[in-house]
Amino acid sequence: MLTLTDADRKQYENIWVVAEVSSGRIQPVTHELIGKARELADASKSQVWTVVMGSGISQMAESLFAYGSDCVIAVDDARLNGIQDEIEANVLVRLIRKYKPEVVLCAATTKGRALIPRVAVKADCGLTADCTGLSIDPENGDLLQTRPAFGGNIMATIRSPKHRPQMATVRPRVMKAPEPDKSRTGKIIKESILDTDADKMKKIIEIFQSKEAAFNLSDARIIISGGRGVKGPEGFELLKRFASKVGGAVGASRAAVDAGWIGYNHQIGQTGQTVQTTLYIACGISGQIQHLVGMQSSDVIVAIDINPDTPMMQMADIAIVGDLFEVIPEILNEIPKL
Amino acid sequence: MKIVVCVKQVPASNDAKIDPVTKRIVREGIKSIMNPFDLYALEEGIRLKEKFGGQVIALSMGPPKAEAVLREALSAGADHAILLSDRAFGGSDTWATSYALAKAIERIGHVDLVICGKQAIDGDTAQVGPGIAAHLDWMQAAGVMEVQVKDSSIIVKRMHEEGHDICQLQLPAVITVVKDINTPRVPTLRGRLAALKYELPVWKPADIGADPEKLGLNGSPTRVVKTQPPDPRQADTIRIEGTPKECARALVHELRLRSLI
Amino acid sequence: MRYHIQNKIYHVELLPPKQESEKLEKDLELFTKKYKRVLENGYCACITDNAMGNLSFQGTEMIDVLGLPVEPEQVMIHLNTFHTKENLDEILNSCIDMGIKYLLVVSGDGSERLPKLKPSDIGITGSESVTSVELLKYINREYPDKFVLGVAFNPYEPEDHEFEKMERKMAAGAEFVVTQPLIEKNPAVDRLLEKYPDVPVIVEAWMSKKLHLLSDAVGYTIPEDEAYDPIETLKMLHKMYPGCGVYLSLLSFKNHFDLLKETWI
Repeated sequence: MLTLTDADRKQYENIWVVAEVSSGRIQPVTHELIGKARELADASKSQVWTVVMGSGISQMAESLFAYGSDCVIAVDDARLNGIQDEIEANVLVRLIRKYKPEVVLCAATTKGRALIPRVAVKADCGLTADCTGLSIDPENGDLLQTRPAFGGNIMATIRSPKHRPQMATVRPRVMKAPEPDKSRTGKIIKESILDTDADKMKKIIEIFQSKEAAFNLSDARIIISGGRGVKGPEGFELLKRFASKVGGAVGASRAAVDAGWIGYNHQIGQTGQTVQTTLYIACGISGQIQHLVGMQSSDVIVAIDINPDTPMMQMADIAIVGDLFEVIPEILNEIPKL
Repeated sequence: MKIVVCVKQVPASNDAKIDPVTKRIVREGIKSIMNPFDLYALEEGIRLKEKFGGQVIALSMGPPKAEAVLREALSAGADHAILLSDRAFGGSDTWATSYALAKAIERIGHVDLVICGKQAIDGDTAQVGPGIAAHLDWMQAAGVMEVQVKDSSIIVKRMHEEGHDICQLQLPAVITVVKDINTPRVPTLRGRLAALKYELPVWKPADIGADPEKLGLNGSPTRVVKTQPPDPRQADTIRIEGTPKECARALVHELRLRSLI
Repeated sequence: MRYHIQNKIYHVELLPPKQESEKLEKDLELFTKKYKRVLENGYCACITDNAMGNLSFQGTEMIDVLGLPVEPEQVMIHLNTFHTKENLDEILNSCIDMGIKYLLVVSGDGSERLPKLKPSDIGITGSESVTSVELLKYINREYPDKFVLGVAFNPYEPEDHEFEKMERKMAAGAEFVVTQPLIEKNPAVDRLLEKYPDVPVIVEAWMSKKLHLLSDAVGYTIPEDEAYDPIETLKMLHKMYPGCGVYLSLLSFKNHFDLLKETWI
């Protein structure tokens, strides 16, 4: 395939962020990406540009300077509604060819994960999904992209030495959003959709927005999980309240599912689902190996159990010795104070 | 309808360690299976065929032993199966993989719909489906949880963070499907025995008219330069005891320290 | 089941080949041989249902495709809750057609590939999940008087929990009980026999030397014993539980099958 010479590569500069626009708003992950892009740009003495594509987004473009963007390319068009991957990809590819960014970062959301691979193929460049670490190799300016492989058992570092731009996606909440600096300013470039960009278009039949996130254990960032110690369906009602308060999902051990207290689609473990969450709170789960294999690669594990000696209480990062029926209501009382 | 379902053979588990001496990834004794998401793609293809007629062709790229997942697809009800296998395909990243699969789909000819699983559990990139659509310059829909056929188009429902949408795409198109879409059938013994007898074609780069510069390592922009174990799990358990209120306070404090809530 | 106990008929567990088998034809041949040997020797062949959540072929399709003979007193099949409704009914109807009447109804182990029955599938309300209890009720309701239904008893689970479940299983129509494997006298099983004196109980004997597999099967660690002798353990179980039948899991057809004749006397 087309590879670039050293001289070609030098023409590519600046770190781009593709803004995540949904429900008519720029999503917070965009700020997180700009924060990271700012670090990379400072390291390579280049600029941060953000591409915002959407309908009615022109007014929002300015807000991005505060997070560290030097320039915003705004493409404001009613056809850019988050559904037309085909159009958005064509626009991005055209902008990439025109402005030659060195790096393009995008959110690893449902939308970003559909759009960016289409762009990477059409722009003949490399793409690394779900990066947890990004840095610039000082020797050659390559973007070093670190991501978990084999379900998090190994971290792989990836680069695209002969292709530009270097593209990477990052999941929401992996990077930290910087504190906005309202005094920062920058320039705005307006671009529009060409007829050739919009040769393929989906017909929209329905767009349904729901506050209630789709039930998907593996995508949940926080899981509140219950076992035999939850004692019955009423106990799971308490866990559901806990989960909805922290924006999490409810999981369960096999014992709880077998007892008929909660549905099988909540079961975590060898014979259920495997999850890898940021925060896993095990409530009254003793921690049989068959359950542990389904959740042990979660980032932080909290166990709440009246029995201090269960395997789960031993392996947890934070173990609370207490009656979950007393402790959880207190936790719910504590949280709104934040 | 002529439907191609892309399937991938993946290791059944993600157990992997780095050998402290050789620094190589050690993955011994791990079974290979069909990528779980692909089972849903296959099932959807078979259901569409059962409803609207046509044929389902299972397509995979991989080493010779990857034929096992194609036979599994045949057992479940695929009509045909094709394996892309050659040293030249080795070392492909998602760019080169989607290129080779797209070339094979062109070679198959007159394909209406390509169905892929949302992602493969070994790489978790979710890039190959949209990549195939890009190489073919077809329309695409990722993360589909419902599909209906209407004349020469499909109507798909997709779930996303903010709800869902329903839209219509002209065929030919590429879709990737999530697990909510169906319940994959388990192959029957009869189906399985019949699949054993199928003569499975193995295609090489020349068979699909591929540009060798775009295959395998040559065609892959990305390079894995380093692998290392993740930061070790903190072994020390912080133990919190006291009244329920004290426990709750201490926990919320610990979680806030870690920016978890 | 009383008939089996009175006539000293062993229940011999047979595992159908796994779906992923790379030597399916050989596995089928071996299964056929074992099945026929069990029947020819007057024992009862017990065919598992995706044991340990491993995707395997169904007992009914094995019998059908391989053309195996069925003697109503000599075949039992396991049936768990990891099926689609359609598939469940297909299995039950095949059993009726083939003359299979003994079913061991268990919750079973699932896996990603095994669809769990949903309460709505089998007309259950008031429970979020289908366990062996709901499955028993369903079979008794939809297929009355067609089957003799057995249930499992796990003496390694917390006792009160397990007895409470047993109470519900009995209420749902269980007619016999098969325990998890025993390697010694077990107080929970003693309590079971005392509590349900009229229910035939079949104790399971672990016929493999590999006790760690037993730990995996029951979910609790059973200390490894280098000197574990399956045949001796079996003899001991007969002595300890003379009124019970015996179910043999992981029986070695090569080393132990022929010894069975002299074991239950």
